Amino acid sequence: MKYFSLRCLCHWVVRIWEQCISAGAGLMYRFLPCHGPTLIPFITNCVSFCRGLLSQARLHSIAAEKKNYLQEEPTSSHRRNASQFDWALMRLDNSVRRTGRIPKTLLQKVFDNTCHSGSPGGNQALLLLRSCGSLLPELKLSERTEFAHKIWDELQKLGTVYDVSHYNALLKVYLQNDHKFSPTDFLARMEKGNIQPNRVTYQRLIAAYCNMGDIEGASTILGFMKTKDLPVTEAVFSALVTGHARSGDMENAENILTVMKEAGIEPGPDTYLALLNAYAEKGDIDHVKQTLEKVEKSDLYLMDRDLLQIILSFSKAGYPQYVPEILEKITYERRYIPDTMNLILLLVTEKLEDTALQILLACPISRESSQNDFGSFFLRHCVTMNTPAEKLKDYCKKLKEAQLHTSPLQFTLQCALVAQKLDLAKVLMKALKEEGFPIRTHYFWPLLVGHQKEKNVQGIVEVLKGMHEIGVTPDQETYVNYVFPCFDSIKSVRAVLQENGCPHDDNVFSQAELRSKAVNGNLDYILSFLESNTLPFSFSSLRGSLILGFRRSMNINLWSKITELLYKDGRYCQEPPGPTEAVGYFLYNLIDSMSDSEVQAKEERLRQYFHQLKEMNVKIPENIYRGIRNLLDSYHVPELIKDVNILVEREKTDSRKPSSSDLESKLEKLKAENQPIGDILKQLIVMLCSEENMQKALELKAKYESDMVVGGYAALINLCCRHDNAEDALNLKREFDRLDSSAVLDTGKYVRLVKVLGKHGKLQDAINILKEMKEKDVPVKDATVLSFFHILNGAALRGETETVKQLHEAIVTLGLAKPSTALSSPLVTLYLEKDDLPAALESTIDCYEKYKILPRIHDVLCKLIEKGETELIQKAMDFVSQEQGEMTMLYDLFFAFLQTGNYKEAKKIIETPGIRARPTRLQWFCDRCIANNQVETLEKLVELTQKLFECDRDQLYYSLLKLYKVNDDWQKADAVWNKMQEENIIPREKTLRLLAEILRNNNQEVPFDVPELWYEEEKDCPTSLPSPVEVNLQIMSSHFLFSFIDAFNIFLTAKKQNIVFDNETYARLINLLLMKDNSTQAMQVKDFAETHIKGFTLNDAANSLLIITQVRRDYLKDALTTLKTALDLDQIPSRLAVTRLIQACALKGDTESIHDIQKLVNGLEDSIGLSRMVFINNIALAQIKNNNIDVAIESIENMLTSENQTVDPQYFGLAYLFRKVIEGQLEPALKKISIMAERLANQFAVYKPVTDLFLQLVDSGKVNDARALLQVMTHHMWSSEAPVMKSLLELIPELIDKEEAYTCLMKSYVFDNDVTSAKALYESLTAKNVKLNDLFLKRYAVLLKNAGESVPFTEPPESFEFYAKQLKESKETHL
Amino acid sequence: MAASAARGAVVLRTNIGRPVAFVRKIPWTAASSELREHFAQFGHVRKCTVPFDKETGFHKGMGWIHFSSEEELHNALQQENHIIDGVKLHVQPQKPKALQGDQTSDEEKDF
Repeated sequence: MKYFSLRCLCHWVVRIWEQCISAGAGLMYRFLPCHGPTLIPFITNCVSFCRGLLSQARLHSIAAEKKNYLQEEPTSSHRRNASQFDWALMRLDNSVRRTGRIPKTLLQKVFDNTCHSGSPGGNQALLLLRSCGSLLPELKLSERTEFAHKIWDELQKLGTVYDVSHYNALLKVYLQNDHKFSPTDFLARMEKGNIQPNRVTYQRLIAAYCNMGDIEGASTILGFMKTKDLPVTEAVFSALVTGHARSGDMENAENILTVMKEAGIEPGPDTYLALLNAYAEKGDIDHVKQTLEKVEKSDLYLMDRDLLQIILSFSKAGYPQYVPEILEKITYERRYIPDTMNLILLLVTEKLEDTALQILLACPISRESSQNDFGSFFLRHCVTMNTPAEKLKDYCKKLKEAQLHTSPLQFTLQCALVAQKLDLAKVLMKALKEEGFPIRTHYFWPLLVGHQKEKNVQGIVEVLKGMHEIGVTPDQETYVNYVFPCFDSIKSVRAVLQENGCPHDDNVFSQAELRSKAVNGNLDYILSFLESNTLPFSFSSLRGSLILGFRRSMNINLWSKITELLYKDGRYCQEPPGPTEAVGYFLYNLIDSMSDSEVQAKEERLRQYFHQLKEMNVKIPENIYRGIRNLLDSYHVPELIKDVNILVEREKTDSRKPSSSDLESKLEKLKAENQPIGDILKQLIVMLCSEENMQKALELKAKYESDMVVGGYAALINLCCRHDNAEDALNLKREFDRLDSSAVLDTGKYVRLVKVLGKHGKLQDAINILKEMKEKDVPVKDATVLSFFHILNGAALRGETETVKQLHEAIVTLGLAKPSTALSSPLVTLYLEKDDLPAALESTIDCYEKYKILPRIHDVLCKLIEKGETELIQKAMDFVSQEQGEMTMLYDLFFAFLQTGNYKEAKKIIETPGIRARPTRLQWFCDRCIANNQVETLEKLVELTQKLFECDRDQLYYSLLKLYKVNDDWQKADAVWNKMQEENIIPREKTLRLLAEILRNNNQEVPFDVPELWYEEEKDCPTSLPSPVEVNLQIMSSHFLFSFIDAFNIFLTAKKQNIVFDNETYARLINLLLMKDNSTQAMQVKDFAETHIKGFTLNDAANSLLIITQVRRDYLKDALTTLKTALDLDQIPSRLAVTRLIQACALKGDTESIHDIQKLVNGLEDSIGLSRMVFINNIALAQIKNNNIDVAIESIENMLTSENQTVDPQYFGLAYLFRKVIEGQLEPALKKISIMAERLANQFAVYKPVTDLFLQLVDSGKVNDARALLQVMTHHMWSSEAPVMKSLLELIPELIDKEEAYTCLMKSYVFDNDVTSAKALYESLTAKNVKLNDLFLKRYAVLLKNAGESVPFTEPPESFEFYAKQLKESKETHL
Repeated sequence: MAASAARGAVVLRTNIGRPVAFVRKIPWTAASSELREHFAQFGHVRKCTVPFDKETGFHKGMGWIHFSSEEELHNALQQENHIIDGVKLHVQPQKPKALQGDQTSDEEKDF
């Protein structure tokens, strides 16, 4: 019922969406399709593939990690990488998201930067490689692959470690670039690099074979996949369609679809697209049309992007005549505009620019607004690809006619100038001139710039000639900025120009020369020029150059002479405002143009200059002097002020400000008039308040009421509020007002008053306080608003409707806080708490009408969906889409469906055509899922948004990983890495770091190069490195804070400076790093210490820790070496370390190493605390792992039955062995061991093994096996385990003291809910003074509580799991 | 780059309290003389700068028009559309940025 109505709702939503579209509503969806929203079929590739990949990932990950271990040395350079990588990723990502492509220059820039950064991480490599495919439509296919190879080789040289993701990325690039290569060579190359291919690799190799039409090759790979049990996905079938078609076998290509269906995979859009492309390549328009019709009739949906592919196939195969037919079918959804643009670019690259123009002209771009030109990208790319000038002129004409572009010629000219194409530029300029546009001098500057950089005189001459040809004369700026710098001297410019017949205006030329000299600081020339000059020349036109010249020359005499000349010579400063003003302004500008440090450095010279000017009788106006004075003041050179002052025309003194001493005496006088008692009273009250002594404080106040001051009241009011004493608080507030009605409390005290009064039903008083806050303009901060929310929310949860409504109303209407979503949510909470959904919705809508916000709409929707309130949902959705737009409505509904587990409905919503990613909303939902630990919901969100337009996939996966981290679920985290590869996503560094962290925390290998997080290096102050003692302290303190990164960073910095610390410091740092599981870094410190401190060794504890860490990271050989080293130093390693190592060897089946260890520790067993049983258990386990079950059993039996027993049979505990065998599901071994245990009991009366086995079986839940064992042993039948256990305990009396035995017994009593027996057991054990473990007590306590009985001891606070784990661990270390 | 930034800073500082219009989105085809010509209709243009990038030979689309009086600047800002070479310019008053330290003294005004 509920389900049905939801589906209806879903359809309804889609329907109104359609209506909106057909009605043309919503500007941004102009390009949406008007046919029904066909839903993209469910993609069947989701969860199952991760499983198959896990073991694969493990295998190759070990290889990768080992490599990392060896190459992890240059850690310091990672520091810089981190931020740079994020920058690069952001630039590339923005480009892709905005335009669907990456400009080559950008990629080159990011690549260069990456190389400069030293040792690029694997992630950067992935990003760069991934960018070399279809994201570069402006590059020829071969150039793209070349680029990829360049990146691959260069980065490899720089030490980047490649993993399977890089190879997969390279494969994808090959496919996208139609690069011909040998898949077998590729596989061989991977093998050589010790990289295990995964499913994605195989898939892409198949595609590679198929692209070459090599079905046989594809089949080989397919065979590989089958042997590895990898699932065959739609992608593989699609590739096969292409493969058959390209091998000329269309029939089989078509047949693939049937094969797929038989294999249980429905052909999706990808498969049909492959088929359509195959037809297009053959020029078979009929079949293309038929297939398209077929797809349209099915519930599949081909996107514009797919249709564009078909167009490309037609054009490339030489059938441009069919392009219009496909163009007709394109809906031009806005989100595919970038795709269309990229196709156009690609066609231009492939020299199919006529077809490109055809598509461009078909784009239904709005033509009304003249501001947005469309087609610039096309013109630019045509220029880059050297499309003939005449063709380009024609394109410009067509674009203008089609009203797509307002100024195509100007734009194309700009492109030609940027690209330094003089000939094209000339043609275009002539065309412009013909159309009546002016050609300006600066049009030629970009052309000159290019030649100037190369000092290409001939090039300059040609541009100048070109200018002349077009009829443009170079101006001063052209010469100074773009021509002169190319020549050695201005003389030679003149000569070259004359030689080449370049006409030039001599007047312009000499003025340019003057400016040029000024800029170069050639003041001698300036002076002589100014003296001999006869041309009209204004000072201001020279000012800028002159200032630069002055600053470059330190010849003060020349400064003065030039200034004097300009001041006094009639040629320069005669027109108003006259020389005083002009020179004054010049001086101001001169100083202003200098930086403060420059002025400080040149202080003496400037002083000299001013004094020389004074002697020359140069004057400046006073107002300009003041400006200069302010400048000098701000430069901190007030000493120069007096030297400028001497230039001022008339002098004037400043009026003096009142001195500070006057104010001080005034203040003291006021102070003396104060009442002494009031002060002390206030102090006392404040003190009582701080002691929370409300009663005493109130008494004191009552006694000395007349002497109370404002401050005392404030403290008291606050105290009463804290004590929830509304009555007194209100009275005190009134007295306070009477004392001084204008006095203001601080914000916090007002808020507390409002809270306490509201809580005690004194609503009107609370509102009065709020009014007072407004009247007295009490500052309202963010924290205050938060307090308001809490007041309201508290009331809402208590169900106090009136309080919530009135206080909210007062706060908002008074303007104390804006009616935000958060602040208003209690209005809705009120009804949600009461389960009154219509009222809750009404309240939300009411909020929108009043304040334009929709508080808790998500929660309201979820509840409505849960309750199946179709009508109300419809009402809500109508409202949202009307008020906030369809997109908001769709997101609201999407989230609500996700939240309530209606994933099918959610999927339909998010696949609505035209919907695009809204990052903030998605992030909001992610954060919500993380906060509430909703794993499934978040997984679904990530899954369903896979094809969402403009969706930041990495960010979503990052959120998912965050949640997996919370749950410590490394398997799922690991699967994310595979999924990201398949989706072709480049993870950001933070994502990789998080993933690595999860894997490491779970002792898993990390299958990629982990970008390390480093704190900023203090490069600026290399000298201020803390002294060794300080560093020592820092390491010590960081020890407690566990900030091992800090500590390690200090070590690195010190290492660079060659500062050596003492033994102790290194030992501590190593311990710290080991505790944090950073064995590589620990080894780095150890190595450094060993080479710098004579005789540096790790102590016992450190070595033990190192062994444990090495074991955890599976470096068993290293661990063994460490053990040897420690023993050689006569150290006693910890029992835990040795045990862990032995156990690890056993699990690997490494009997030999265990024997080695046994020999090594021979004689030390007691000091270490190592039981012989550790060896016996683990050797047996190792043998079993090696399939030598019989050998293991034989040796155990021998030990137990031989004459000279080394271990007393009653201590011959085999529990560990049994548990491992059971856990490892080693069934044949278990069977034989059972037989052995039985035999030992029956024939040799050795009961210990059978008891251990029984207990282990019970413990691991194999109750039936345990019972069977017992049946064999006792020939009796019992219905429940408890009596069995009891009999067993009677049977084997030595067991009764065993911890496990009574814990198990209690477990079975709990299982049977047998309170009486449990009580008896507890009493008998306590009577015997047996120490009971927490698990036992916990079980017993819960049993009693469930039976409604009191617990006679404190119930252990933690969970069952906690104590079970604790017990297990303590057992393990005791073995 | 650094030089042009420094120049920009200088322009800013010298313009305190002065009637300056800041113009953006200048088409590449126009330079300072085109701007001066256009803005002359609103009053006396004391100075007009459109800095060119010496690395590219293009300007960056920004410029400053220095008028003689506030009134003239006001006139320019009053006009809704400023179009040069068919492209609409963005014109706004140069924001008076306070100088560092206590430079906002009244004396500055009669300067």
